[in-house]
Amino acid sequence: MELDKKPSKAKTIISGLIPFVFVMIMMAYIFGPGSDLLDLGVPLPEITIEMIDFVGSEVHATVRNTGPIPVEVVMADINDRIQPAAVEPDRFLERYETALVRIPFEWNEAEPYTIGITIEDGTRFEKEIEAAAPRLQLSLELIGFFAIIGTYVGIIPVMIGLMWLPFIRRLSKNKYHFFMALTVGLLLFLGIDSIEEALDASAENLAASFNGALLVATVTILSFLGLYYSGEKLIQRVKDSPYAKPVAIALMISIGIGLHNFGEGLAIGAAIGLGQVALSTFLIVGFALHNTTEGLAIASPLAKEKKSVIRKLVAMGMIAGAPAIFGAWLGGFMYSPFSAVIFLSIGAGAIFQVIIIIMKWLREENENSLSSASIVSGIAVGMLVMYLTSIFV
Amino acid sequence: MIFSLIAATAISSIFFVFPEVITAQSEEKFFVTHSGGVVKTTGEIIDPLYVEATMEFDPMEYLRDFDYGLTSTLPDGTTLREYTIVAEDDKIMEVSPGVFYNAWTFNGSVPGPTIRATEGDTVRVNFINNGSKQHTMHFHGIHPAEMDGVFEIVGGGGGQFTYEFIAGPAGVHPYHCHVMPLEEHIVHGLYGVFIVDPKEGREPADEMVMVLNGLDTDFDTENNFYAANTIPFYYQHHPIQIKTNELIRIYVVNMVEFDPINNFHLHGNLYKYYPTGTDLVPSFYTDMITLSQTERGIMEFEYQYPGKYLFHAHKVEFSEKGWVGIFLVSDDNSDSLQETSPTTGDTNEYGT
Repeated sequence: MELDKKPSKAKTIISGLIPFVFVMIMMAYIFGPGSDLLDLGVPLPEITIEMIDFVGSEVHATVRNTGPIPVEVVMADINDRIQPAAVEPDRFLERYETALVRIPFEWNEAEPYTIGITIEDGTRFEKEIEAAAPRLQLSLELIGFFAIIGTYVGIIPVMIGLMWLPFIRRLSKNKYHFFMALTVGLLLFLGIDSIEEALDASAENLAASFNGALLVATVTILSFLGLYYSGEKLIQRVKDSPYAKPVAIALMISIGIGLHNFGEGLAIGAAIGLGQVALSTFLIVGFALHNTTEGLAIASPLAKEKKSVIRKLVAMGMIAGAPAIFGAWLGGFMYSPFSAVIFLSIGAGAIFQVIIIIMKWLREENENSLSSASIVSGIAVGMLVMYLTSIFV
Repeated sequence: MIFSLIAATAISSIFFVFPEVITAQSEEKFFVTHSGGVVKTTGEIIDPLYVEATMEFDPMEYLRDFDYGLTSTLPDGTTLREYTIVAEDDKIMEVSPGVFYNAWTFNGSVPGPTIRATEGDTVRVNFINNGSKQHTMHFHGIHPAEMDGVFEIVGGGGGQFTYEFIAGPAGVHPYHCHVMPLEEHIVHGLYGVFIVDPKEGREPADEMVMVLNGLDTDFDTENNFYAANTIPFYYQHHPIQIKTNELIRIYVVNMVEFDPINNFHLHGNLYKYYPTGTDLVPSFYTDMITLSQTERGIMEFEYQYPGKYLFHAHKVEFSEKGWVGIFLVSDDNSDSLQETSPTTGDTNEYGT
């Protein structure tokens, strides 16, 4: 199609703005003064208790107004028994505003508690805590402790997994494809796992008004698109060197896995922070076993690289593994359900992006087909291995 | 484009992720917890235990307020007591600091006025229903079927009915609305106390009425608050002042719904208990009586020592949700009308 004349810039802008003007007129009509067009039904107030902290001899509840109308926090209770409390900064909450409710209470460690908050119309909202544990205070000792845990969960297993590199190098083309496909299976599982965890976290801690599932979908797709775009740019830049492409793929895999491990670190830090310590040691063993397979995923594309890759390998192991440490710090010291959902979703997007890259590469390598026995069985085995190791988590 | 979108999302999400960082600092207040700790806060204090709500209903006034009605003598010599009771169902009451509840009321309060007559008096209640729903008055006691307030439904918006019956038997009885759904009409507050004094009268005493009730403010068929006379913790921050060696008589009526039982425990003392108040001889000498729905009775006691004494439900959940109060006993013998020794005189009446 050809435009007869260059349209003037002003006209383009105006024609683009006209619908907006009408939207504004419509809004003004609906919400404007004297308009009771939409005055139907009863708006129900709602608050969400997003976080409970046990600090000294106080219980802290972070409360957010997640309903359609302003609310007033008027009473706190613990285990359905009324307690005096302080609300900071004040008890009036506009939509999405938060307040901290401090309830002086001599709580007992490891005991379950239900924290209730009542608003001005007498409606009570509650949140259950499985086991009370003191909120972790930032200290060098704890920072070190989390770093060690992150190392065990992230760096060490990934590095161990990378040791499969010499083995993969000796494989025939078909067997090598099998291992690349296995990587796809592993990543597919990790991606689904991230999304599941993100959905769980949002269902447990975020109010319905945040549209948890759609938040996860949106962030995952944005992360996928962003990384896909920059990944393609990276591959184009290194196209001239025939051996650089595997490195680029390996790098992207490690970035994706790194983001995923950041999410896992958050989960572990939060589990310790929330006092589920027994669960947490178990979690650490499980993650360590599970994450060994992630090393394999990075090692597989690097097998094509003929030069010495030891340094690259170590760097990528760090990229993939070290975020677990940062995640554990963040999760342990300033856990917020919102950040957990966001990071897990970003991780999922990153992983799906890597899957696409590997699949494309496999397809090119395999005469434009993905239906070879080695690829299909590789993906299947990858999923199975991940599922079996996930039972330990 | 995508990156700027992500950046914008990331920045705006910071407000959700770390809300507490953004709160402004303001002046500090402090409050003392019940275990003696001091809590400093830059925010507000929400303490239903010691902060008073701004209320129209005054439990302290209700406590000792008896409505003997408009009295006249009938041709046959009996006393006629006339009362006007107006039902409403649109009142919004602050029942606890900051908690607003749609109470349904007799004469504007929960519980309604304490109607008091002597056995044999003619009681005439002009009932006006100014509510939007149907209501009635159903008295516990002895009366003709058509005065029972069950089948004679009184319509809202000014419907009227006159209840007339001979007061009896002597004792303490509840009255309440008896329109279906009954539970709803009772828990919203349509109830009160009806005291019938025996003809021979009772010993002079500092008399009070306590209706043990609950409030289900979120309509989940579980009470959010419990109280003696509606307002949670009221008699804890407003102790009831009494004197040593003075006979105290409490007319207690349990109107709690949803929970099958309630109870009344007195500290530092025991009370004589007259179930339903129908017998002049006490059935128990105890500090703990369990009451089921509309179960009621009269409690009599005297304090020997001055000081602060709790009274509360020993179903501790109820007391921690408001059904707790304090008797502040002061040492004052000068104007005591009673015999000073609680252990002499009529002890043989207790039996063995």
